[in-house]
Amino acid sequence: MSNLYEWVRESLMALAYEGTLPVAFQYGFVINALLCALLIGPVLGGVGTMVVTKRMAFFSQAIGNAAMTGVAIGVLLGESYTEPYVSMFGFCVLFGLLLNYTKGRTKLSADTLIGVFLSISLAVGASLLLFVSARVNTHILEAVLFGSVLTVSDIDMNVLLVVTLAIAALGIPLFNRLLLASFNPSLAEVRGVRVQLLEYVFVVMITLLTVACLKIVGAVLVEALLLIPAAAARNLIGSMRGFVFWSMAISTVSCIAGVLIPMQLDLPIPSGGAIIMVAASIFVLTTFIRITVSRFREA
Amino acid sequence: MQGPAIGFEHVSLALGGAQILQDVNFTVAAGEIHCLIGPNGGGKTSLVRALLGQVPHTGRISIAWRDGETIGYVPQGLDFDKTLPVTISDFMALVFQKRRPAFIGLSNRNRALADAALDRVGLLGKRRAKLGSLSGGERQRVLFAQALIPPPALLVLDEPMTSMDEVGGERFEQIIDEVSAEGVTVLWIAHDLAQVRAMADTVTCVNRTILFSGPPAEVLADFNAEVLFSAAALARATAS
Repeated sequence: MSNLYEWVRESLMALAYEGTLPVAFQYGFVINALLCALLIGPVLGGVGTMVVTKRMAFFSQAIGNAAMTGVAIGVLLGESYTEPYVSMFGFCVLFGLLLNYTKGRTKLSADTLIGVFLSISLAVGASLLLFVSARVNTHILEAVLFGSVLTVSDIDMNVLLVVTLAIAALGIPLFNRLLLASFNPSLAEVRGVRVQLLEYVFVVMITLLTVACLKIVGAVLVEALLLIPAAAARNLIGSMRGFVFWSMAISTVSCIAGVLIPMQLDLPIPSGGAIIMVAASIFVLTTFIRITVSRFREA
Repeated sequence: MQGPAIGFEHVSLALGGAQILQDVNFTVAAGEIHCLIGPNGGGKTSLVRALLGQVPHTGRISIAWRDGETIGYVPQGLDFDKTLPVTISDFMALVFQKRRPAFIGLSNRNRALADAALDRVGLLGKRRAKLGSLSGGERQRVLFAQALIPPPALLVLDEPMTSMDEVGGERFEQIIDEVSAEGVTVLWIAHDLAQVRAMADTVTCVNRTILFSGPPAEVLADFNAEVLFSAAALARATAS
């Protein structure tokens, strides 16, 4: 895959030097970040509609926070502090599965339980990160929290490619079954849906996606990119088709613009923050359209 | 077609330390319309969930299935965000389309099936309407439509008339008559005693255990709605 990435980078950089593409494309790390944006944009947008439909927004926030703990554990265990994927995936998957397991076995409402887990993950993550911060460059931690296009490596791109393909391979054929249970679990079971098993599958999907997106969007902000494009699309759309495709489009445009705009305008802001600000601007625009244009009020 | 017979033998069910059902015994004959009545909290829905295999129970529930027969289930309602951009057609795709995701739309074959079922409940003209914008009765009709795909041999209805409008109620009764004439077994949790008297072949009253079971003309002669919905009055009436 590295040869392919190298070929793409060199081709685009050549076009930038010729003046066909913007100056930002002269840098390999920008092209890396854009390739990642093209992968995560559609997937985050599509999965975001499922997160919104299943009312699991809060859950993805908790996973984002857990990723901070995963990074700290990775550093403590001696993993590469730029790519501590074993610890991040391991801890976050365990965290997500434990949360889902507990949800089915307590009388607490889901939002209360997720709030408790979210607080625990934030407290442990922040404490461990500060503990290990003496051992690593603080900018590495900033990159984990808020995303950084500078730190995207070929390994990150491979991880992202595998995770996005796996999520598409699972999420598309299971889409109907994953969502039906959120309308009526009894009906889903009568229809042959293994509701509990698919809850776990969805938890693992969100967890893998969250961890894989950390380098671009950041642990703190990845959840926002699951929600804002879907929320922006919902402002104007009245069908599932429009909901999913517009959410994917808004997410992809946000990711690309969030990577390119700081480079073009020479703004010293993290890619995650820029991506979310672009998505948020689109959300504000669609909200304004919904409020002011009568045909969208009933969408 | 002849729908399956169902047998409940010594069925008991406890949830969270509370005894919901105690030694329930009755049978549903093949192809009949069998209504379950009883006070709220009496265990009717739990009995249906036990039949559907969704709650652990003791005793034996038997369904005399033939090859390829399926169950149609109309739940009490849906719990979802009413602002979601999900149309009636989208919902039908979520319910019965296996692999093709709802956001791609129904396949031609499945669209024909969905349209026929929606036409049957009088909602074909609203198939592009948002599920959240429908009245409670209309949503109930959508749930009824999905239960008709594929054509069921056993139709289980959990209080489908709770929020049904007049048009929907008439359509509902008409379809029950039609599927019953085709031989489908109908197990129906009902509240309207007049409707039960008019449509049921057999009625069973459940309040933790079976209080009575038989043809409505025989077993409902001395009952009125007030007695049915009051557990205390029901206990007095059945004791006398």
